[in-house]
Amino acid sequence: MNAQPQAETYESFVEQIPAGTAKIDLRKLNFFYGKTQALFGVTTGFAEKQITALIGPSGCGKSTLLRTLNRIYALYPGQRAEGEILFDGRNILNGGEDMAALRARIGMVFQKPTPFPMSIYDNVAYGVRLYERLGKADMDGRVEQSLRRAALWDEVKDKLHTSGLGLSGGQQQRLCVARGVAVRPEVLLLDEPASALDPISTAKLEETLLELKTDHTIVIVTHNLGQAARISDYTGFMYLGRMIEFTSTEQLFTNPKAKRTQDYVTGRFG
Amino acid sequence: MFGPYTGPACFTPKAAMTLAIEQTKTAEPQARKPRGGVLDPIFEGLCFISATTLLAALVGVIGSLLVGGWPALHKFGFSFLTVSEWNPVTEVFGAAGPIVGTIITSILALVLALPVAFGVAVFLVEFCPPLLRRPIGVAVELLAGIPSIVYGMWGLFVLAPWFALHIQLPLMVAAPPGSLLANLIQGVPNGANILTASIILAIMVLPFIAAVLRDLLMTIPPAVRESAYGLGATTVEVILSVSLPYVRRSAIGAVMLGLGRALGETMAVTFIIGNSHDFPKSLFDSGSTIASTIANEFNEATGAMHTSALIALGLVLFLITFTVLAAARALLGPAKTV
Amino acid sequence: MASQLLIVRRKMGNAVFVVFCWVGAAIALGFLALILWSLIVKGLGGIDLKVFTMDTPAPGSPGGLRNAIMGSLEMCAIAMLLAVTFGVLAGTWLAEYAGDSLYGKVVRFVNDVLLSAPSILIGLFVYTLMVKPFHGFSGLAGAVALALLAAPVVTRTTEDVMKLQPPALREAGVALGSPLASTIRRILWRAASTGILTGGLLAFARISGETAPLLFTALNNQFFSWNLTQPTANLPTVIFNYALSAYDDWQRLAWAGAALIAFAVLFVNIIARTLARESRRS
Repeated sequence: MNAQPQAETYESFVEQIPAGTAKIDLRKLNFFYGKTQALFGVTTGFAEKQITALIGPSGCGKSTLLRTLNRIYALYPGQRAEGEILFDGRNILNGGEDMAALRARIGMVFQKPTPFPMSIYDNVAYGVRLYERLGKADMDGRVEQSLRRAALWDEVKDKLHTSGLGLSGGQQQRLCVARGVAVRPEVLLLDEPASALDPISTAKLEETLLELKTDHTIVIVTHNLGQAARISDYTGFMYLGRMIEFTSTEQLFTNPKAKRTQDYVTGRFG
Repeated sequence: MFGPYTGPACFTPKAAMTLAIEQTKTAEPQARKPRGGVLDPIFEGLCFISATTLLAALVGVIGSLLVGGWPALHKFGFSFLTVSEWNPVTEVFGAAGPIVGTIITSILALVLALPVAFGVAVFLVEFCPPLLRRPIGVAVELLAGIPSIVYGMWGLFVLAPWFALHIQLPLMVAAPPGSLLANLIQGVPNGANILTASIILAIMVLPFIAAVLRDLLMTIPPAVRESAYGLGATTVEVILSVSLPYVRRSAIGAVMLGLGRALGETMAVTFIIGNSHDFPKSLFDSGSTIASTIANEFNEATGAMHTSALIALGLVLFLITFTVLAAARALLGPAKTV
Repeated sequence: MASQLLIVRRKMGNAVFVVFCWVGAAIALGFLALILWSLIVKGLGGIDLKVFTMDTPAPGSPGGLRNAIMGSLEMCAIAMLLAVTFGVLAGTWLAEYAGDSLYGKVVRFVNDVLLSAPSILIGLFVYTLMVKPFHGFSGLAGAVALALLAAPVVTRTTEDVMKLQPPALREAGVALGSPLASTIRRILWRAASTGILTGGLLAFARISGETAPLLFTALNNQFFSWNLTQPTANLPTVIFNYALSAYDDWQRLAWAGAALIAFAVLFVNIIARTLARESRRS
C-alpha cells in the first residue's frame, strides 16, 4: 500500500477525497527531526473550504504534519521533510518557493495564544501591512471585519488601541484567529487552538471556525474528539507517525474501519 | 464517493487541478512580496558581523598585548617573571614584585571575603526575616555595583588612616622586637600596604560571591533540604552536609569568579597599596599589583622598553585572569547578568 | 548521658553558626553603610552649584566639575550607542541564528571572557588601536574603550531575554508570512525590550564609574570641550588625580565627584533591577 515497509505492519484505511476538491495533497510525506523519523509516508488530501480534523494520541505526529504544511519547521536546522506537499498543485517542498509569501497564504493558530506585544489593532494589522498598502479607512475596515469574523469585535471595539496582552486567554486566541484571517489566507492551520481555553471560549471559537469555512480551507489538530465530531467534515486518525484512517468525519466516528481507530474513538486507548 | 485507498498516490486528475488553481487565483489576488523587508536580507549578516566583532575584540586584546610586550619578553625572557628589580633608569625590568603582589592581595582578599560572603548567603536563604530578604539582597547587590574608584577613595581616606592609627601603631608598639609578629607587621605606619589593599579587595568581591552563592543555594530543591531536616539535622548540618555538597561545583566556580575580579581590579588597589616594586617583606609593607603598576606608570613610561615591559605585564595579567575565569566558567556555566 | 551531651553540642554548634551568619550579614551591610556615610558626609557636603557650572580649577582657585561631567556623559553616550548596536545584534545572532554551532559556542565563550576581563587591559588594547597610531589621546578612544566593556553585558542580556521568548511567538510571526528577520525586529525585540533595556542600564552603570580604561585613552583635559578628537575631561580620571593630590580643595572636589558617580550608579542599578523584576512578573 505504501513505500514505507514499516507502514505495512499497520492496517491502514486512507480514503481519497473527491477528485478536484483537494486544496492540499500530501504524497508519501516523511518527516525527520534530525535522525528521528516522525512521519511515515503520509498520503492524503485536504479538501478546499472544508474542515479537516487530525486526531490521535500525543506524539502521533499530527502536530508535526500540520507544521509541514506551511514549512514552519524550516526555522529549525535539522528538521526536514521528504515527499510531496502539493498546494494548488505546486510542490512546496521544492527549493524555489518563497516561504514568506507561501506562509501569507497559509495562516496558523497555535496551541497557546501568541498575541504580539502591541495593541489589538496592530496585532491584526501587522500581517496585512506586510503585504498590502492600505489607507487608514481600508485598514480600519479590514481590522473590524477580521475581528468580527473571529467573533471578537464586540468585546474589543472600545479598546482597540490597548495592548493585546491584556485580553483574557480566550480573547487572545480569537485575536490570533483574527490576525490569521486578516491577511486573507486560503488555508488556516490550527494546532489544538482550544486546549488552553474554557468551555465557553471553546464554543465561540468553534462557531468562528464554522463561519470561516465558507472562505477558507481549515485543518485543525485537536485532542478533543467531541470538537472534531462537531465541526469537521473529514477526520484523519494518526498513530505513531502514520495516517491510520482518513475518511468523512461521520464515517470515522460511527463506523471506523481500523481496529486502532475504533479503540481510540471509543476511548479504549489514548 | 469514498473507496479504500489502494493504488499509488496520484488520484487527482490534472484538469481538476488546474480548475482548483484558477478558483483560488480569482478568490484572492495578493501582493507576493512582504513590504518593508528591505533590511531583511542583510539583517542576519549584520548580526553575524556584530558577533564576530566581539571575537575580533578579544583577538585584538591578545594580539596587542603579545606584539606590544614582545620586546620586553624577548629581552628578559623567563627572568621577567622571576626577577624583582624594576628599574626604568637602567632599563632592567623584572615583574616578580607586582606578580607576587597581585597573587597575594587577591588570595588574601578571598580568604577574608569568603567566610563573610558564605555567612551572608546562608543568612539570606535561611535566617533572614522574609520581609527583609529582598531589601538586604538588593543592598548586597548594590554594594557590588559601586564603582571601584569609590572603594579606592574610601580606602585611602577612611580605611587607611583608621587602620594605621588603631591597628598598625598599637601592634608595632606591642610586638616584641625580633619576634615573628614584629617581622609580619614591619612597614611604614601610614595604612597604605598589602593588608589594607586586600581588605578593600575583600569588600569589593564579597557581594559578588555572596550574590552568586545565594542564587546557588536557592536552586536546591526544597525536597532535598526538607528530607535532611526531616532526619533531625540542624541548620548548620543541613547546610554543610547537604546544601553545600549539592552545589559544590558551582560554588567553587563562584569563588573563582570572585578571584578573577580581585586579580584584575585596578583603581581600588592603586589608591592604597603604596606602589613599591620591591618584593613585599610583610603584610604591612607597601607593594604593587600588575594592574596598579600599569595604571601608575603607563602614561609616564620613560622609553620603549619601559612601555613594552608594562604591556608584557598586561599579558601576564591576562593569562592569569583568563585561566581563573575559564575555570570558573567551566564550573559555573554561562554568565548571568541580571 | 552521652547522647544528651551530643544533642547539646549539636545545638550549640548550630547556635554558633546562626550567629556567624548574622555577623556576616552585619559586616556586609556595615561596610555599605560606612561607604555611603563617607560619601554623604564628605561628598554630598561638597556639592554646590559651582560643581556643575565651573570647570576643573587650578589648586587654590574656585572651580567645579562641569567639563568632567560633560566629558563623561558624552563618552558614555557614544559608548552606549556603540555597545547597544553591536550588543543587541550580537545577542540576537547568538539567540536566533547561532544554534549549537561551534562558532556560536566560541563567540559565547569569548563574550564571557570579555565580560570579566580586567578593564585596564581593554584600556591598553584601545591605546594600541587608536591612541598610538594617531599620536594622540582622544575622547573617542575613551568611548570605544567603554563600549568594549559595555557591549558584552548587552550581548549577554539580549541573548538571555530573547531565548526566554516562547518559540510559538517566533513561529506565529513567521506563519503570518513575515520573514524571520522581520519577525525578530518587529515582534521579538519588542517583546524582549524591557529585558534589553535592563541590560543596557546595567552596562551603563558599569561603565560610568570605570576609570582604568580611560587613563590611557581619553586622558584628561582641564578645559571644557565638545571636541572628542582631543584629550577629554572625565569624572573618574579627575577623581583619581584630585584624590591623590596634596590639595584640600582638589580632594573635596574628588569626593563630590565620587558621590555624584556613586549615587548615579546606585540609582541606575535600582531602576534596572526594578525593571527586571517587573518583566519577570508579567
